[in-house]
Amino acid sequence: MMTKKPGQAFKNYALTLDEANAIARENGEKVVPTFCAMCGPNPTCGVYAFVKNGRFARVAGMMESPINRGGVCPKGHAAPQWVYSPDRLKKPLLRKGEKGDGSFQEIPWNEAVTIIADKLQQQKKQYGPESLAVLAPAHRSYSNLIRRFLVVHGSPNYGHSGICYVQKEFAFTYTIGCQPRCDYKNADLIILWGRQPIYSGPAMGAVRDLVAAKQRGAKIVAIKPSVEPDIGIGDIWVPLRPGTDAALALSMLNVIVSENLIDAQFVETWCYGYKQLQEHILKYPPEWGERITGVPADQIREIARLYATTRAATIDLGNGVEHAPTANDAIRSVAILMAITGHLDRPGGNLLGGGGKSGIPRPKAINLPGNYTREMIDKLVGPEFPKVFQPFWGGTSSAYYRILDSVLTKKPYPVRTIISPGTQPTVSMRGSKRIVEALRKVDFYVVLDVTRTADMNYADIILPVSTPYEIDHPFENRGNWIMARNKVIEPLGDYKSIYEFFLDLGVQMGYGEHFWYGSITDYQNYQLSPFELTIEKLRRHPCGLTFKTEGTTTRTYENYSRVFQRRSAALNREPYLPQGKVAIYNTTFEREGFNPLPEWREPPESITGTPELTRKYPLILSDYHTSKAYTAAWQRNVPYLRELQPFPMLHIHPKAAAVRGIKNDDWIIVESPHGWMKVKADLYPGIRPDTVMILHGWWQGCRELGFEDLPLLDGGANVNNMYSVDGEKAFDPLITAMSSQTLVEVRKYEC
Amino acid sequence: MSAKQWGFVFKQENCIQCHGCEVACKTWRGIDLGVNWRRVINIWNGEYPHITCSSTSISCMHCSEPYCIDVCSTGAISKRDTDGIVLVDTKKCVGCQACYDACPYKVPQFGVDGTMQKCDMCLSGKQDAPNFAQNAPPCVGTCPTKALVLKKMPVSEKKEMEKAMKVFFNKSNECRYV
Repeated sequence: MMTKKPGQAFKNYALTLDEANAIARENGEKVVPTFCAMCGPNPTCGVYAFVKNGRFARVAGMMESPINRGGVCPKGHAAPQWVYSPDRLKKPLLRKGEKGDGSFQEIPWNEAVTIIADKLQQQKKQYGPESLAVLAPAHRSYSNLIRRFLVVHGSPNYGHSGICYVQKEFAFTYTIGCQPRCDYKNADLIILWGRQPIYSGPAMGAVRDLVAAKQRGAKIVAIKPSVEPDIGIGDIWVPLRPGTDAALALSMLNVIVSENLIDAQFVETWCYGYKQLQEHILKYPPEWGERITGVPADQIREIARLYATTRAATIDLGNGVEHAPTANDAIRSVAILMAITGHLDRPGGNLLGGGGKSGIPRPKAINLPGNYTREMIDKLVGPEFPKVFQPFWGGTSSAYYRILDSVLTKKPYPVRTIISPGTQPTVSMRGSKRIVEALRKVDFYVVLDVTRTADMNYADIILPVSTPYEIDHPFENRGNWIMARNKVIEPLGDYKSIYEFFLDLGVQMGYGEHFWYGSITDYQNYQLSPFELTIEKLRRHPCGLTFKTEGTTTRTYENYSRVFQRRSAALNREPYLPQGKVAIYNTTFEREGFNPLPEWREPPESITGTPELTRKYPLILSDYHTSKAYTAAWQRNVPYLRELQPFPMLHIHPKAAAVRGIKNDDWIIVESPHGWMKVKADLYPGIRPDTVMILHGWWQGCRELGFEDLPLLDGGANVNNMYSVDGEKAFDPLITAMSSQTLVEVRKYEC
Repeated sequence: MSAKQWGFVFKQENCIQCHGCEVACKTWRGIDLGVNWRRVINIWNGEYPHITCSSTSISCMHCSEPYCIDVCSTGAISKRDTDGIVLVDTKKCVGCQACYDACPYKVPQFGVDGTMQKCDMCLSGKQDAPNFAQNAPPCVGTCPTKALVLKKMPVSEKKEMEKAMKVFFNKSNECRYV
């Protein structure tokens, strides 16, 4: 029995506004309170930016911010080098030569916006509004502005990645009514599953809670193919093969069902289809699980029992599970694990949304969710979720990859204009070869970014946007904290923000009434109306406003009857859970032709699924989403960050390296059935010996340190070039999730 | 020498290996590329599959009895009487790097001008030089989980810190970054 000690409070040494001002005075500087902008999605750490002689010099954490409480990570500190990078785009550019050859001429902003607007109007007339798609970056405040633009224009094609967050949101919501939160504060057992809480927003709170939980005696289990810093504070590592999360979850269900470690009363009252599960799950004993996942059967039993028998146990499911063709079933299986063991919406477990009203206002929504019509949904070019489930999270969505693919297949029709606002399809999305082909062919491609991007040479128009340190919008709101963004320095070039771009484009297209006639102030004031604030008033609070929760602060638990009745966002508004119970047996999925119970499906290439390939390609390859130094595919040009991680390094177990004669730092060739990379070897004792992994997103050089750009396709270090994009095998049939597993061989590079 | 000296306390159980301290130091002190006054180093514990990783954040330890001072032939390195901070006089340093060889933690750094440079604790306490710290230096202030603390401590406590760091540092020689 674990005992709970009070969580240790961290003593704070960060700066308050007064202290920041005192330091600035001493150094002849100015302090600007604002938000950090160096990670995603939605970075909201409060920082003090120090400005000397008009130059953004450095940042310190804002103690008053309830989000980061003064903490700042390496990315946050490196911000000035990003702002002053020689890689910054300088002027709006119009393509002069052939697509891909990188020949452009400078044009004024207004002219660029006019060209885009004319193109969109002409295409709308000729091909319909659905001929426009916008590829979404990691979710940011402008994501909803993009949705608004698309809705007003009449296109449903918001291009969500199909591999991040929303896949979990979908599978959880259609199984237990919502995506649950983890109650770190009260848990005795925390299972981090395909989750890495440290490399993304380490100062934003989750890690603070995790370390505090550990120190009061909570046990931490991490399920993932390789050791990352979370295992440094963990107790048990469960090293599974990449992409086999569904198999592990199914085997854990097998143990829990066959040993009857369930919360019988909860199952009886609140679950639909347990009987069918009992029979179905017999197929997946731990010995079967061991064969697929590589996790010993005894460890599968141990983890299943530990989870089922620890009352306050929470599972933190991360993006790792969203990168496999069996993602939906992996997530559903985990949701069922939470449900049948009685861990849903109980202290220390996984909490369902809306337990107790906070009384804190939310910014007014601008994504126009009520404007979708059946006609629009029918025009989705490559639905991220089947049409019957649309709109889902924030609006309708086509899968990012399928938008690009439509250019080549013309099925059901080719998208004609693609806008990439802060996203790089060739290095962020699987199937790089096919994506380059699509970018070469698409009628009109628009890139908006701060620095050079991997695929800007294929653009017809490139717009250089300001960093968030050069603008005074938008305000940000997270939890019960709201603060205005302040301009740290004047824009260093002919820049506008992505917000200004979409407002300007809206006005130019004749949609002015929906875009505040181009006024950023009116746009912010519209969103602020529920707070009874204007941006001017909010700006008077340099460290923002923190709302106190009204009335009782104690949360209510076991909100099953309410959450299980939620109506969906889909046009038909049918409830997420037709029986008002946990959908173990999912009649909605069954009706739409999908499997009602979670099943195992092999990735396109794997040791157990395609053993015939293992002679030539004996190792499993997968990738990391982000790292301590970089957020996804950007920031390689920032010297202080590049110093932390200078080379694309393949993590390979020393034993796997030894048999191939590979030593630390050797250049190596990694070859899959789909492509090859030239990278360096990092002999890494904390990885499965049958698996190798690398960070995704490598291409950009760093001029200050003398690093050249790397090729985007074969011979570079772009892991997305290595995977299958087979339409039958590489996608989750229900939620799009794309495979990031393949088989490879690794050999020393001989020059 | 004062009975109490400034020293860093590193709480390994709080460290999440984010490297925030390392980059905070660089931006706040405007340190050249290729030079690190503070760095986060990692070690592996155990063997697959029973393996974990841990880190330590290391800068000049401002040792109670600095090896670097003993080997410096030009007297460029000194230990401040009032608080034990170890300082370099770059005018006297000839860049022979003997201090680097002597330092158990390989702390001394040599930038483009070739003279030794290292952590000066942001001269904790506002004496003598530009001071960036109020409550604590940026490396301490930035830590999201407060793994790093700067405090005045008796020499005996400081020696404990030095011993623990030596053990960790020696293990880390076989490892690389996670």
